Amino acid sequence: MTVFRLLLVSAVCLCLAGIIRRYARRLSGSALPRQDRSRGRTPWQITHILLHLPVTLITDVLLLRRTLRTSPYRWVMHALTLSGFTGLLLFHALDDVVSRPFIAGYESTLDPWQWLRNLLGGLVVAGCLMALVRRLRTRGLRPATRLQDWLFMGMVAGIVLSGFALEATKIISPNVFNRMTDTYFVPESDADIPALQAFWSARNGVRFSPPAGTDAELIARGAELHADNCSYCHADTSSAFLSRALATAISPAADALNAAQTDAFFWFLHVGLALAGLALLPYGKFLHPVATPLNLVLRNRRHDAATIPDTATAARLGFEACTRCGECSLHCSVAPHFAAMGNPNILPSEKLVSLRKHAAGALDTSAINALAEGSRICTECMRCTDICPSGINLQDLWLSSKQALRQQALDGPNTTIRQCTATQWAEVLRTQGASRFEQVRGNGLADRAESFWGCVQCTTCTSVCPVVAVSEAPAKDLDLTPQQIMNLLRMGLKDQTLAARMVWSCTTCYKCQEHCPQNIQVADILFELRQIATERLRERDLTACPLPGPSAPARAPMDNALPHPAPKGSSGDPA
Amino acid sequence: MKYAYFPGCKIAHHLPDYGTSVRSLCTALGITLVPLEFSCCGWPVRHENAVASVFSAVRNFAVAARAGLSIVTPCKCCFGNLKYAQARMASDAGLAAEVGNLLGREGLPLPDRVEVLHLLNVLDRDIGADRLRERTVRPLHGLKVACHYGCHALRPGNVTEFDDPLAPTVFERILTAVGATTVEWDLRLECCGNPLRGRDDTISDALMRKKRENARAAGADVLATGCTYCQMQFAAPSGEEKTHPAPDAILFTQLLEAALGLAPAPCAMPDGTTEAR
Repeated sequence: MTVFRLLLVSAVCLCLAGIIRRYARRLSGSALPRQDRSRGRTPWQITHILLHLPVTLITDVLLLRRTLRTSPYRWVMHALTLSGFTGLLLFHALDDVVSRPFIAGYESTLDPWQWLRNLLGGLVVAGCLMALVRRLRTRGLRPATRLQDWLFMGMVAGIVLSGFALEATKIISPNVFNRMTDTYFVPESDADIPALQAFWSARNGVRFSPPAGTDAELIARGAELHADNCSYCHADTSSAFLSRALATAISPAADALNAAQTDAFFWFLHVGLALAGLALLPYGKFLHPVATPLNLVLRNRRHDAATIPDTATAARLGFEACTRCGECSLHCSVAPHFAAMGNPNILPSEKLVSLRKHAAGALDTSAINALAEGSRICTECMRCTDICPSGINLQDLWLSSKQALRQQALDGPNTTIRQCTATQWAEVLRTQGASRFEQVRGNGLADRAESFWGCVQCTTCTSVCPVVAVSEAPAKDLDLTPQQIMNLLRMGLKDQTLAARMVWSCTTCYKCQEHCPQNIQVADILFELRQIATERLRERDLTACPLPGPSAPARAPMDNALPHPAPKGSSGDPA
Repeated sequence: MKYAYFPGCKIAHHLPDYGTSVRSLCTALGITLVPLEFSCCGWPVRHENAVASVFSAVRNFAVAARAGLSIVTPCKCCFGNLKYAQARMASDAGLAAEVGNLLGREGLPLPDRVEVLHLLNVLDRDIGADRLRERTVRPLHGLKVACHYGCHALRPGNVTEFDDPLAPTVFERILTAVGATTVEWDLRLECCGNPLRGRDDTISDALMRKKRENARAAGADVLATGCTYCQMQFAAPSGEEKTHPAPDAILFTQLLEAALGLAPAPCAMPDGTTEAR
């Protein structure tokens, strides 16, 4: 037992240290810039939350209201696992603390406890099976499933299954029987032990080697001895219905299993897994049994994007409360964009993982760019926030993180392109050559002569363009006019047009296209030029101009890791 | 009259009033809006990635087709991009194959053409000006409205099939039916500037300011919008606007609600009342 104590204390220490480390870690302000915006009202808001605490605890924490609202299947799955595991934790793992002191006559091998333990274990196994089926069968969940998801599921199931295996191998084990009789049983005659063995073998499934007697009289004598000596502490093993069934199933191999002392192995496995689970509690989704209820209480049954209380601590609690159930990603409005573009950061559950790493300063340049792309593509539809079973205010997190990326000029090609002049970009993009996108999808409007060879340079597109109209000096402000762009394309100088302010400040009103007497798809071509430039930047992970910009300080190529102030209006504003 | 309701992404968080107003108006007029779990229309990503944009739109057609419904949306950018995706699918075989492949991975069939309508089309076609006039309990007499059309529904006209792209009338037809006076103004069909919001705020502001000034010069009391993005643009706080009072932008559904007696007037009325009831 001293080994057990030592391991237990180590696991508890690791767990506490991990939790302190996780919450004490300062978030880099560049990932989630936020100040406490409601400092004055916070005490009243907290009182409000405390007043609602009993209701929130019952509906959201115990009855999993939010989970039921999102997915009844997940509710059944989670309710089975939660009720089973909590029951086992309180009455079985903590029996010295809870069961023994508070329940008179408690003995783990007496009914109803023995039966209940099997029932609760069965609930957990059923819940884990449902979770496994859900992960394997739900198509959209595969990209939102990581090692930690399998590990957590495996850990919960492993603890309970090893418990069943331990109980089953103990049931069949003559060693365990002998240990008990040596300690607690004083035989009055030499025939007592064989009689008790016969009874335990026939009734409770112990597999002796050589087999115990099967004589009815012997068993009847054993029954008397059992009633006088054992039954105070031992219900029939048949009430441990799952373990006993398992014992029956493995009994053909009983001799080998008993000889190998398999029950000792399963004891170490069961205790080892449980302690490992405890030590892993501060990491990833292992923390959710602690963090999620806290966040649910703080969210006070809200589903909107309001942050009450609006403090950094509240935001932090939500940040850590993800159970990685993946429901947000299954229902995400831009999940199709993920399917087409393949960047997992488009999915909310995966973006949250990246954002957490980014806040800890653990992302490299290309991972930050991927996070920035995922953040930019989010349409702020609030669906993830509405359905999150953990009640995380994702909308608020996304709005904050988008703002942070914007401040670092990491909000996409539109910002990147404006950091150098069109001429400089033309040089960079020309040297790079066509992106894979152009080569594979290629032959789009901008590359196909038929799309603009009807252009007679009549300037209608330029004269109807509202962007040209609000520019005082279009040649300077916009680099090129729409009709000049068509002319450059006609001359095969596509690279020269890719970064023109006219292309990037096109307001997509389609007047040019509607009014073109030659039916040239001017606006569609401008869309395509932006897409082409975006792909070229994406291909090279460019989030800043590799050449020194006109007003931006000179910096080394590819030096994207540091936040830069956005050089607003670097290519000239129409004043 | 039963439609798959496509509110678009922005209403839930950025413009919930529009959602409330659209639902209340449709309920009153007997238009059933069926909520389906749609994805993004594909408009915001169209600057970056054509496949993602078209696939996202087409996935919505598959969802609507499964329910056997036409799509109605109150957002002109959603409307425009959904129509654009249909046009691209019909004209670009390579893209259509790629999209079909992505749909197949989700176990969805490539749908037949699904009808996509803007709410104005539905009111015009299914309800009609006459019935709107009959239902009006508090006509907007004397209210001078500048109808702001919204580019993405109008153009390109051969793709959107919304109305005559050079001389549309549907917006005025609906608002005059409930008693409003619509004004003639030069920039009626111009852009509100929202597509450049956050991309080029200088030009975005300039476009909005110019439109507002033109509507005011034409004598408009309010500027009516029928698009989530346009309304967000006009409602966006801008230092310039405070010093230059210009007509407020009002969602057309809120004007109709006021006229039909479903809600208080969203703006000051010419007769001095601010409430319809």
